Amino acid sequence: MTDDLVRRAQAGDQAAFRELYRQHAGRVYALCLRLTGDRVAAEERTQDAFVRAWHNLKSFRGESAFGSWLYRLAVNVTLMERRSSGRREQRVAVVADPEMLERRDRGGEAPVVLGIDLERAIAELPEGAREVFVLFDIEGYGHAEIARMTGIAEGTSKAQLFRARRLLREKLDR
Amino acid sequence: MNERELLDAVGRLPKSIEPPRDLWPGIEARLGARSRLWYWIPLVAAAALAAVLIGRGHEGWKVTWLAGAGAGTLRVGEWLVTDDSSRALIAVGGIGQVEVRPDTRIRLVRARADDHRLALERGVIYAKVDTVPRLFYVETPAGTAIDLGCEYTLGTDSAGNGLLHVVRGIVEFQTGALSAKVPMGTILTIRADEGPGIPYVEDASPALRRALAALDVPAALRAARAEDALSLWHLLQRVAASGRGAVYDRLAVLVPPPPGVTRAAALAGDTASLDAYWKVIHRLHFRRVILSRP
Repeated sequence: MTDDLVRRAQAGDQAAFRELYRQHAGRVYALCLRLTGDRVAAEERTQDAFVRAWHNLKSFRGESAFGSWLYRLAVNVTLMERRSSGRREQRVAVVADPEMLERRDRGGEAPVVLGIDLERAIAELPEGAREVFVLFDIEGYGHAEIARMTGIAEGTSKAQLFRARRLLREKLDR
Repeated sequence: MNERELLDAVGRLPKSIEPPRDLWPGIEARLGARSRLWYWIPLVAAAALAAVLIGRGHEGWKVTWLAGAGAGTLRVGEWLVTDDSSRALIAVGGIGQVEVRPDTRIRLVRARADDHRLALERGVIYAKVDTVPRLFYVETPAGTAIDLGCEYTLGTDSAGNGLLHVVRGIVEFQTGALSAKVPMGTILTIRADEGPGIPYVEDASPALRRALAALDVPAALRAARAEDALSLWHLLQRVAASGRGAVYDRLAVLVPPPPGVTRAAALAGDTASLDAYWKVIHRLHFRRVILSRP
């Protein structure tokens, strides 16, 4: 089904691409939201990622799942935007609203509450630590790959991950 | 919490979070522009000026970059985007101009003699228009600013939360059937989920601003002065029927209603009565603001 949608989208079928958007928007938005810690920026990066995907569909040859290709592209778009804009402002305030995190109840109050606290704590991490934490612990990328994507040394990635986990534990213990 | 517990909690985080709004329209608008994407970079590199204009039409308004050299035309359907250090000036046909502040994304929707229309997706603009009312419109995610001959600053985030500050003339902000009249010297808070709030004068007390934001009628009535009559006039039309009597009575003490306007008619929402009352309130407000300015 997805393969067919991808083929149609590659042939210029916007309706098929829209369906791909419907299937993957939540995943891409979650990724962008956690990487940026900012809802507005996450919306923009999500849109940028899909526009970029549309323009680069021809380069997708099916060597990986379409979703994996798209999420990697979303990571690159988000990191590139951060680097090119050079913005370093704190974005925590926007994320302080737990409603925006759209938590899903997973069968008990405690995990949901913890999830909200954790999302907020992630958003409050320093930018470098947040990116590495999201990419390694949530998205499953390795340090070597993170180093290539973010332009930092592999050792720095490990140090940032250590720092992020320590900061998160401290925040959640308060 | 130890590291194992932290990683367990991370593992329970949802992989997917639905965006708070449908992002597809914004994506779709950019899909067809592949071969017509413009990167318009003025000559002053230090200004780090960047603009992206997407999708081209035939009619257009002249654009001048304030941060350095460069000029061009913004055509119907095109976006103008400023980064955090660039500004641009759009000539609104022959009726005025709009300064586009940094970090703003705005599109020219219509450029007709009877309908000059921009869509402010996010950011801040300063508009200065000199023409008859209802020729210049700025759409935002939460509603539309309708120019009634004025000068104003309008800012919004991409969700629609924003602020309108009118410096001269009067602007009407409309979201569906809900609208607010925002005359010179007043400020309007705009909320993504509710549209226009209740406008207040620049020197309104913090207590009144808080009360208006919360639609706390008793607190608003306690904090209101004669200068805040325009806020109470709006409040009168926003509160439930049971609360209107108290608002009207306080308003009538601060600014007596003109002949012909009765309490019953005002409470019933009679348009002619409310309009007549507004004229009195607006005239007093206008004189006060004019006299207070150097």
